[in-house]
Amino acid sequence: LFSVLQKTIRPVWAVRGVHMSAVEVMKRPAPEDTVTASFGRFISEVKPRHLSSVVLQRSKRMLLDSIGVGLIGSTTEVFELALQHCQHMYAPDDISFVYGRKDTRLSPTLAAFVNGVATHSMDFDDTWHPATHPSGAVLPAVFALSDMMPANNKPSGLDFLLAFNVGIEIQGRLMRFSNEAQNIPKRFHPPSVVGTMGSAAACARLLSLNESQCSHALAIAASLSGAPMANAATQSKPLHIANAARLGLEAALLASRGLEASPLVLDEVAGVAGFNAFYEDYIPRPLESPSDGGCMFLLEEQDMAFKRFPAHLGMHWVADAAALVHKLLVGVGSGTVSPAHVQEILLRVPHSKYINRPFPESEHQARHSFQFNACSALLDGEVTVQSFTPSAIRRPDLLEMLSRVRVEHPHDNQANFNCMYGEVQVTLVGGDILKGRCDTFYGHWRNPLTNESLRKKFRNNAGAVLHSDNVEQLIEVVEDLDRLEDCTPLLSQLQ
Amino acid sequence: MLRKGITESFGAAIHALNTSQLTDGVINRSKRMMLDTLGVGLIGSTTAVFNKALKYSQLFHSEEKSSVWGKSGTSLPPHYAAFVNGIAVHSMDFDDTWHPATHPSGAVLPALLALAEALPSRPSGLDLLLAFNVGIEVQGRLMRFSREAYNIPKRFHPPSVVGVMGSAAASAKLLGLSPAQCSHALAVAASSAGAPLANTATQTKPLHIGNAARRGLEAAQLAQMGLEGNPAILDMDCGFGIYYKDYSPYAMSDSTAGGFNWILEDQDVAFKRIPAHLGMHWVVDAALAARAKLEAVMTFDLSQIRSIKLKVPPSKYINCPLPTSEHQARHSFQFNACSALLDNKVTVSSFSEAQINRTSLKELLSKVKVETPDDNKASFDKMYCEVEIETSGGQCFWARCDTFYGHWRRPLSHVDLVEKFRANASTVLSSEGVEGVIDAIGNIEMMQECSSLGSYVRMTRNLNEEL
Repeated sequence: LFSVLQKTIRPVWAVRGVHMSAVEVMKRPAPEDTVTASFGRFISEVKPRHLSSVVLQRSKRMLLDSIGVGLIGSTTEVFELALQHCQHMYAPDDISFVYGRKDTRLSPTLAAFVNGVATHSMDFDDTWHPATHPSGAVLPAVFALSDMMPANNKPSGLDFLLAFNVGIEIQGRLMRFSNEAQNIPKRFHPPSVVGTMGSAAACARLLSLNESQCSHALAIAASLSGAPMANAATQSKPLHIANAARLGLEAALLASRGLEASPLVLDEVAGVAGFNAFYEDYIPRPLESPSDGGCMFLLEEQDMAFKRFPAHLGMHWVADAAALVHKLLVGVGSGTVSPAHVQEILLRVPHSKYINRPFPESEHQARHSFQFNACSALLDGEVTVQSFTPSAIRRPDLLEMLSRVRVEHPHDNQANFNCMYGEVQVTLVGGDILKGRCDTFYGHWRNPLTNESLRKKFRNNAGAVLHSDNVEQLIEVVEDLDRLEDCTPLLSQLQ
Repeated sequence: MLRKGITESFGAAIHALNTSQLTDGVINRSKRMMLDTLGVGLIGSTTAVFNKALKYSQLFHSEEKSSVWGKSGTSLPPHYAAFVNGIAVHSMDFDDTWHPATHPSGAVLPALLALAEALPSRPSGLDLLLAFNVGIEVQGRLMRFSREAYNIPKRFHPPSVVGVMGSAAASAKLLGLSPAQCSHALAVAASSAGAPLANTATQTKPLHIGNAARRGLEAAQLAQMGLEGNPAILDMDCGFGIYYKDYSPYAMSDSTAGGFNWILEDQDVAFKRIPAHLGMHWVVDAALAARAKLEAVMTFDLSQIRSIKLKVPPSKYINCPLPTSEHQARHSFQFNACSALLDNKVTVSSFSEAQINRTSLKELLSKVKVETPDDNKASFDKMYCEVEIETSGGQCFWARCDTFYGHWRRPLSHVDLVEKFRANASTVLSSEGVEGVIDAIGNIEMMQECSSLGSYVRMTRNLNEEL
């Protein structure tokens, strides 16, 4: 199309006094050279053989964790609400499975929606650097789409893994376009910005869309991205991931029907914001075509953090630091910790308004409170799924501990998951001071969960809704996924 | 900055506003908006983007069904009806525009009509009018929270920011939600707001309005089921404030008793005469006036035109020297000026592929130079357009438009508004349907229940019927 345009302009160009406006058109980059086109090309051309063994291994761990977290998430109130909404608004559509509900199926985008809610409902899902929750935005969509494909034409295990990894990779690439993305967010909740794009990319890959359709899927998704931080730590937060999954799938489906959007959505055009609308600073870079001798996925260089308990990632530092102090306290005395012995608790944490809550009043707030998680770990030695039940939140002991907490934000403690630390300093009534510090919690990408620990988490989560045979079979089929001709065995375990 | 109670005040107002507070002025203006929106949506059902969205939406099924405007045999789940009808409304960039700039009606009316058809007891015409005005009012209020909103946008497409909030408010009103639920509807909707400007002037733009309608409705229904969001969503910079560089929200005053000052009463909307970005209307009126001046002195001859100078406000996304698609053409000062000069009019058919690709038009386009004078502000309240034609003989014909016909300062007459509706609606509806809608909207405040409206928008023309 562009070359045709150039031909018509050429005779005009020869005439003297051609106007500046026409020249401007010729100065625009050729469509093939744009960042947006490079992303479209990558998604459409990348193949299973481009997945290295490290990437395969790490992404299978992500798959397992995400499924487990989604299964236990299906026991939450917000999941129930979302499911009822979908069933109420729409007739039964026997296509895509719903986590934890054997006899329930929904149409693909709605299944992606409710499974996304489940995955993020307890803030128990994976976290990456720069910060986002990558799997929850992608896996539900890829599952829903796989269910939608005809029985005799299901993706192979490798195709499934490839689509999943494309969804993760695109998110990682997009976050590297800005410095703002490196720190704990203040405006837009990252999963709502990059998650939708990742889901669109993954679905475009699974649908085998061509280069142009892949670009348009991303562009359509951009118009569906973006939700404010204020809704994090409320019951609505899981919908950010849910909508990312659902709307990314929708964008890919619309693109497959020929819907077109901006061909410059990822590029920077002065005066007309594209994807850069979501960032204060933005420098896009093209993705190299995978056919140019090999391909490096970001997951190879930057691993994932898996949570040990269902709360915001920042909580894991203070919990581990407080657990150290708990051990000291318990070693000294009777085996339990009592607030009566404690005079003051000082927390040294990075500055971040939405995870600094002295007296959380709901489960959602508790998952986003340095104070709450520190005190829970001080009392119990650890933080678990049970630490956030209504009765646990309202324990008199806990409330007493909370009233003794003081928070400091040292200058060297940056609000960044790659460099932050957590310190807990307890001053006892007798005057003794006990200190615990955590630089890298167990589960962080620098100190990854062992396969054993990851499976234990999965067994606890999945076992809340599935039979133990089912649980063990899931572990096995995910482990073997890249060797399966057909991903049906994985899907059938979840139906 | 510590603010309190703003979101709460919105929730309380949405809940408490009642039909007795609708003034004659507001009823009259909002009925005009409803009629125009329906007409524009009906002709919009003939577009490619609408058909793609319709095919996609037909993947979904539900027990409750709502009408698809302009389609006699098709219905969809309410959310998807709101989606496709919203897309239809904005598909040709033919829908209403307000100040500060947004397209308010397309985000609200499709959601309300879809919801009304799905409710167990049908609302009255007045209920519908009230909910509609609540949806418009909330949008107007939100845009007044920032100075950025007063100028032609650069980052987020305004309908995607305030439209979904308006739809949530209107739907919450029609559903009769409690004040707290109304607040939560707004909070949940905020997480569905914000689409980047880069997708305007593409086929995806209409989805901004379609999604605003659909997701606002969804937010209200989720709030009805008890979903909660941040109860201070409008108060916080990291809430609704994220969509603006400057943000100063304020509360809605207590509206339980006495009159209510609707923004629509003070600030009317603009209705378009051509299916193109609002800015084009100035340049078209100026171009037509300049051509008239030329024709008073000589015959119009394309080959005699040496150059055309346009003086317009600065705005990247409506400055397109050589549009190659219908969407780009609707967002091009140059294209609209040249179409007006060439054909002595700009109509719905000016944007067809054949018309866009005319060599005579392209030749004229190559002679265009665009200037953005400092005193020409990128604001629909302040901008102007000037067109200057220079002939090869050295003569200059110049015209300026400060306020085009259809702008809120120079509103379309009732006759012309209805004429626009008839021209649009009769592309898909039978004359019974066309007149039925005019009648139903005309008497809406008297209607006990508004299901007749749903029937009229589905009374399509017989394919054999002559135009």
